[in-house]
Parts: sequence; structure tokens; C-alpha cells
Amino acid sequence: MSANMPLSDEDLHAYADNQLSRERAGEVAATLAREPALAARVAEIRRQNALLRDALDPWLGEPLPRELLSAAAGSAARIRPRWLPAALAVAASLVLGIGLGWFGRSEMLELAGTPVTFQRQAALTHALYAADANRPVEVWANEEERLVRWLSKRLNFPLHAPNLNGLGFALVGGRLVAGNEKPGALFMYENADRQRISLFVRKDGEPSRETAFRYAVEDGVGVFYWIDEDCGYALSGHLDRGQLLAIARVVYGQLAAAEAAAPKR
Amino acid sequence: MPETLPHPDLVAALPRLRRYARVLTGDVHRADDLVQDTLARAWEKRRLWQAGSDLRAWLFTIMHNVHVNQFTMRQREYAHASLDADDGPAAGWEIAVRATQSDRVELSEVLAQVGRLPAEQREVLMLAAVEELRYEEISAVLGVPIGTVMSRLSRAREKLRRMTAEPSPTLKVVR
Repeated sequence: MSANMPLSDEDLHAYADNQLSRERAGEVAATLAREPALAARVAEIRRQNALLRDALDPWLGEPLPRELLSAAAGSAARIRPRWLPAALAVAASLVLGIGLGWFGRSEMLELAGTPVTFQRQAALTHALYAADANRPVEVWANEEERLVRWLSKRLNFPLHAPNLNGLGFALVGGRLVAGNEKPGALFMYENADRQRISLFVRKDGEPSRETAFRYAVEDGVGVFYWIDEDCGYALSGHLDRGQLLAIARVVYGQLAAAEAAAPKR
Repeated sequence: MPETLPHPDLVAALPRLRRYARVLTGDVHRADDLVQDTLARAWEKRRLWQAGSDLRAWLFTIMHNVHVNQFTMRQREYAHASLDADDGPAAGWEIAVRATQSDRVELSEVLAQVGRLPAEQREVLMLAAVEELRYEEISAVLGVPIGTVMSRLSRAREKLRRMTAEPSPTLKVVR
């Protein structure tokens, strides 16, 4: 039997680190069952691994400094000449936002009964409020708990405001917004460059089994949106597709985790 | 040849790059500088990344090389500046002093002990035990034969084991 093959030092490490083929791992396990001294060495390696991970994993949750985020993205911007200089982009988004906002409002009124698409509604709502320098939200982030409680009550299901600090975006606050037939909620975030993104939540759409991320650009506003059962989520902002997708993934992950943790409703 | 790197994956890799940099440098601020240099280098070299391959391992490789180059330069500076540059491997290792948020004393102790390992062993241990890279990947990241990876790993673990078995007297000073 190959189980009688002597074990090398490498075998022990590779076994402890789960790097052996299934077949070889089986042979090693059989030998370890007969050799308590070797089994103890494997146990010691695994104990060390667990200890190291316990000590070092908490670092992964620390918020990322802005310099690193822009080093990861800033270079991306540099190789894309179609990007406007930051100042110009802010100015443009202000003008566009105000224009869109009013246009959006009248369109939504006119189209009562023939609702605009979910992604368009999200983009218009974002443009309307993100452009508002002084009053982008109704309830500010210093009252986050009250904000979430209030919106959950008005939408009639438990909401969560994702924490995007790790991506450099702090919660500004939120507000109640027009949905289709029921109210929707808007959470707004801002980074140190005063770029704003918002998460639009609405629960009056058609139930759907589809949870795939979809992307649309509505009048210059990028929107990642997805539908989770009968609840629609849309993340909107003047960011490039990759940046927005990275944030949307984090939002999706946090909402899924919050839902998993919540009692079944 | 990719014209660009996948930005979401790059952002997703940031926390791990930062952690690896801290273990390499032993210093939070120098670590972030190293991450920044690594990202800049990655963008410069983006044509060398093969789309679909493991971006994280590629970034670790760049970080290792950037660190080795900077370290070599610093060593030269030290050599010029003073003769007693030999402070031992734990010199500049300040991570353990900033205790983890946890109450588990053993966690800050293990960090202090990792700081006492020679840098080359610390790197291998980090990549194998914490990042769970395959040995072949580690060999590629560090540019050393796999036999060297295994012997460094074995020595790192043996040292760590002995340190936990007989607590060093200097531990009290460090903590």
C-alpha cells in the first residue's frame, strides 16, 4: 500500500495547507492516523494558520484611504482621455442635474399611469437631489437610525443603509421619494471629492426572480440596478462603469448579508 | 493584451494588498506608500497582465519586487549613514504594538512573533498560511524555486512554534 510511504516534511505542510490532491491527501491521512507525533505537527501548523488569520483578518475590514482608492482608479482615469477634468465634471453635473431634475419632475407628472422605467426613475431622482448643494436629503446621516426606521415604516419593509466608508463614500442621509404607486427611499453618499452617489429603493415593481446586475446610462447618469424578489435597487452616479459596479457589488453584498441576518418575514 | 486592468477587482484586492504591505514593512504608513507604488507600477505594466489570470497574485508579485528594490536602496543608505545598521529582523516592526481590537492576547503575541521572523520567511508564511496561495504561486510571486519556498515555510513555522512554546523575555517589553 502506498499509505506506507514515508511522509516528507513537504507532505505535512501541503496536507495542513490543503494543497494536496485528494488521492495523496487520503494517503497522508491514513499515515497520520498511525503516527500521533506527525498528526500533532499537522495540528500545530493548522493552529498557527488559524491564529495568524484571526490576528490579521480584522485588518481587511478597515476603511481604505482615499489616496489608495484613487491610485486604483485615478490611473484608470488617466488612460481614458474621454474623462473630463474633475472641476469641469462637477460643473457639468450641476447644470445637468438641475436641468434633468426639473425635466424629470414634469415628465414623472405627465407620465403618471405610464411609469418611466425603474432605472430612469432612479437616475432622474438622483440627478434631482444630488445636485442640491444644501438640501440633498431630508434626514441627515447624524440621525441614521431614525432615518432608517422612518423610511422602513413608510415603505413598510425593513431597509438598510449600506456602509460604504470602506470605499470612501460616507452616508449623507436620505429621503422619501416618489415610487410608482408606493413611496420609494433614497440614500445618498458623498466622497471627499464631493462626488455623490445614491441608492434608490422601491418595492412596488413586478416580482422577479432575476437578480442580475444591469447597467444603463440615463442622460449621463450611470445606473446599476437589480431586482431582488419584488424589491428594486438602483445605484446611480456620475462615475464610470467600473467604479459604480465595484460599489454596487458591495451594496448588494451588504444587503444580502443584512437580509440573511434578519428574522424571516 | 489588455489595455486596462479590471477596476472592480483591483479595488477588491486593496485590503489584502494593504495587509501584505504591512507585514512586509511592519509600518502602517510605509505600507500604504508601498501599496500606492505597487498600484502605479501595475498600471504602468498593465500590458503584462494576462486577462483572466489571478490579478491578486500578479499584484503580490509587483509588490514584492517594488519592496525588494526599495529595501535594497534603503539598506545602501543605512550602510552609508551608520555602521550599526544591524537592529535585527524585528527593527521597525510596530504593528504588534498597535494591539488588535481583540481581547485575545495570543493574537497580538503572534503578530509580535511574526515580526521577529526574517523578512523572507515572513513573506512565505504570509502567502501560504494567510493568503492561502498555492506553493507554485508563491514560488512565482517571489521568484524563487519551490524548494526554497518549502524550506522557508518550514523554518518559519518551526520558529513560530518554538516561540509560542517558550515565551521570549523581550515579549513583555514589546507589549
